[in-house]
Amino acid sequence: MDSKEIEQLVEKYWNCETTLEEEKHLRNFFASEEVPSHLNEPSELFHYFEEQRKKPLSDSTFDSTILRKLKDASPEGKVVKMFYSVAKIAAGFIVVVAAGYLVRQEVRKSYPAEVADTYSDPKLALEETKKALMLISKSFGKAQKEASKIEMFNEAEKAIQGKNEEKKSSSI
Amino acid sequence: MNIAAFQTRILTVKSKLYRFAFRLLDNEEEAKDVVQEVFIKVWNGRERMNEIENWEAWCMRITKNLSLDRIRSRQRRATDSMDNHFDIKNESLGPHETTELNESMQRITVYIAALPEKQRQVIHLRDVEGYSYNEICEILELDMNQVKVNLFRARNSVREKLIKTNAYGL
Repeated sequence: MDSKEIEQLVEKYWNCETTLEEEKHLRNFFASEEVPSHLNEPSELFHYFEEQRKKPLSDSTFDSTILRKLKDASPEGKVVKMFYSVAKIAAGFIVVVAAGYLVRQEVRKSYPAEVADTYSDPKLALEETKKALMLISKSFGKAQKEASKIEMFNEAEKAIQGKNEEKKSSSI
Repeated sequence: MNIAAFQTRILTVKSKLYRFAFRLLDNEEEAKDVVQEVFIKVWNGRERMNEIENWEAWCMRITKNLSLDRIRSRQRRATDSMDNHFDIKNESLGPHETTELNESMQRITVYIAALPEKQRQVIHLRDVEGYSYNEICEILELDMNQVKVNLFRARNSVREKLIKTNAYGL
């Protein structure tokens, strides 16, 4: 690559128009060849970048430390996470069951106990039922008598109304 | 993914992650801590690895985010942020490094360190690590235009300072 091409590439570089490939050409040029004095600035800059690129993470224990941390961290982390999830679900379940039990107890308290059989002999039971039904029918009979009195009032009212209408028509 | 696969696939990018963290933090120990945190995060999210198209860019993005978190907490701690930030930058160049770097390297280190954060990130990812513009967009969560503008400003800012230094010895 001649110096004119390099100059053009350098100009493109300053304008951020170079591709990665062209920048690689520039890197190679400044790394290997005698650089003309008017290209001092890009040369210094490219040398600087080259030096920076070589700078490693120079810690011999870094890999072993990080791998140990990853080994230590991962299984425990999973177990702890799983334990917490299971514990959360279990706690929720217990709360629901306890709440259900308490509500059931309350409902039971508020309702009377179921009616149990009072007679063991069916004949006696029939007699007692008849008695009860007779009592109810007596009460119904009484009520009907009283109701017939109200009917008498109604008939009397109708009769009076009929007489009044007759009087009116004769006076007209 | 098991530990062996992690070691051969992921751990190999440790130096790239370290250089990027160091560029942002200017502190070796903090940069190493960040890289460790990145690997632990990647390990914990390894089930998602297959869904990720470019896992190296993903690792770089986590590095950037963790480094920026540290810078923010460092700034919160600092009583006089401007002065302390300047001190940290100078302290980070230890005696070993200072003697190793020649004058020109030291100058450029200072010029790049003085760039705004975004410009520093972009010039590092492109010119040191050789990432494509698309990868830089993904790592820095910026659009193409922002990446190019920041790179243009970064390169030309350093260039101008180098020209001045070479011409007038400033």
